[in-house]
Amino acid sequence: MNLVLRELYANKKSLLIWGASMAAFVAMMFVEFAAYYKNPEMLAVIDAMPRELLAAFGMLDANLTTVSGYLSMSMVFINVALSVYAAMLGHNLVAKEERDKTAGFLMTLPITRASVLTGKLIAGLLCSAILLGIVAGSMLGMLLPYEAEANFLAFFTLLLITTFIIMVLFLSIGMFLGAALRRHKLSAGLGMGLVFALYIASIVSGLTARLEFLRYVSPFEYFEAAQLLRDLRMEPIFLLLSLVVVVGSVSGAYFYYSRRDLYV
Amino acid sequence: MTILVFELRRYMGSLMGWIASIVALLVMFMAFYPVLAQDAAMLDLFLEHYPEELLKAFGMGGELSLATVAGFFAFSFAFTQLVVGAQSAYYGFHFMSVEEREMTADFLYAKPVSRPQILLAKYGAAGSALLITNVGVWLGSFLAIDLFRGDATYELWPVVSLLLTVPVFQLFFFSLGFVVTAVSKKTVSVIGAAVGVSFVLYMLNALRRIVGGELLGLVSPYYHFDPNYILLTGAWHPLHTAISVSFIIVANFTAVRLYLRRDLRSAT
Repeated sequence: MNLVLRELYANKKSLLIWGASMAAFVAMMFVEFAAYYKNPEMLAVIDAMPRELLAAFGMLDANLTTVSGYLSMSMVFINVALSVYAAMLGHNLVAKEERDKTAGFLMTLPITRASVLTGKLIAGLLCSAILLGIVAGSMLGMLLPYEAEANFLAFFTLLLITTFIIMVLFLSIGMFLGAALRRHKLSAGLGMGLVFALYIASIVSGLTARLEFLRYVSPFEYFEAAQLLRDLRMEPIFLLLSLVVVVGSVSGAYFYYSRRDLYV
Repeated sequence: MTILVFELRRYMGSLMGWIASIVALLVMFMAFYPVLAQDAAMLDLFLEHYPEELLKAFGMGGELSLATVAGFFAFSFAFTQLVVGAQSAYYGFHFMSVEEREMTADFLYAKPVSRPQILLAKYGAAGSALLITNVGVWLGSFLAIDLFRGDATYELWPVVSLLLTVPVFQLFFFSLGFVVTAVSKKTVSVIGAAVGVSFVLYMLNALRRIVGGELLGLVSPYYHFDPNYILLTGAWHPLHTAISVSFIIVANFTAVRLYLRRDLRSAT
C-alpha cells in the first residue's frame, strides 16, 4: 500500500504533464469539429456519394458530421498517444529503481520482490486509468455544446473500455521488458521501438488486403472504432488475444523479476 | 577538442543503428510501391469521375496520388521523419543531462575547461552525429526510390528540397529535448521522453490530416515540413518554417542560458 502511494506520488508530475497535453490535444480536435457538426453541405455530399465509394474509404459508418462518427475517426490517434504513455510508464515503474540507483534501498525493505511488482502494477493501472479519465472528461466537456446520438453513451463506454485494454496491454509489455532485461537503456529502447513497429504494422495492414494478417499483430487494429460504432460490441477473438498478451507479460515480469540479479 | 572527439566516438555505435533503421524503413516502404501503385492507379481512375470539391470535403484531393513515385515517397518519408524526430529528440534530451544522470558530472566539470567550452564541444558532437544521419537519409531516399520506381519518373528538385528540410527538422527536436532538460531538475527517462515527444507531435499532425484545419498542425513540425506539400510545390511553407525556426532560436537561447548557471547534481 505504501508502495502504491509512493509510486503514485512519484508519477504525479509526468501524469499531470501528459494529462494537460492530452486535454489540449482533445480540445484542438473538437475545435475542428465545429466546422463539420451537422454541416448540410457535408451531409449532401455523403448522400450524393455511391455507397461503394464510401465503403472503399472505410467511411460507410464513419460520418464526420455526427459526434460518434467524428470520435470514431479520430480515436486511433488518441489510442497511439496513450499507448506510448502506458508503455513508458510500465517500463519506468520497474526500471527507474536501477536507473536512479534506488534499487538497493528498495530491496532492503522487508517486502518480497513479487509484492514490489504488485504495488507497481497497481500504481501503473491507476495512473493509466487517471489519464484515460482526464481524456474522457475533456472529451465530454468539449462535447457539451453538441447533441449526441441515441447510442452515443454505449459507444463511448465501449470506446473507453477498449482504449483501457490497449493501455493495459502496453503497460504490461513495458513492465515485462523493464523486469526481464538487465540493461534498462536497452529495454526502454525496445519498448518504444515496439510501439513504433506496431503502429507501422497497423498502417501497413490497411494498405492492402494481402497484409490482413497484420491486424492480429498490431493492438491498434484490435478494436477498430468504426467497427465498434457499427456493431456496438468488441470482437471476442481480439479480446482473448489481448488477455493472452497481458497475462503472458505480467507473469513473465513476475518470473524474471523474482530471479534476476538487480543492478545496484 | 578532446571532449568533442570523445563524445563523437560514443555516438558512433548507436548512430550506425539509427542510420541502418532509417535506410531499412525507407527501402521497406518503397518496396510496397510496385504492388500498391497498381491499386492506387485504379483508385485514381475511379476518383477522376468525381468533382474536386466533393473530394476535398473528404480530405482527399490536393495531395499527390499514391500511384506516383513522389506521392508514395511522401507517404514513406513521413515515417522516416518520425524516426529522425525520435533520434534528434533523444540526442537533445541526452547530450547534457547524461553527465548528471550517470554521476560523471563531477569528473567532467572539475577539468580545466570552462562550461561554455564543454557545452560547445558536446553540442558540436551531437550536431555532427545528426549531420551524419543526414547523409544516411539522403542515400536511403535515393536508393529506395531508384530500387523500386521501375519505369516511373519523378522530379528531382522537390525531393532535394524535402531532404534539405531534414536538418531544420532535426534541430527542432534536438532543441526541444535540450530546453526540457535545461528547465527540469529531475532526471527523465531519455528514450521514453524522446519517443513520447516525437510520437505525440506526429499524432497531432496525423489527426489533422483526417479532420483538416490548421490549428492542430501549427505546433507540429511534421506539418511544418509536410512531405506532401513540399513534394507537390517544391518549396517550404514560409509561415510554418518561420514558426519552427523561431522555436529553435528561443529554445536554444533559453537552454544555453540556463545551463551556464545550472546547479549540477553531483555524486556526493
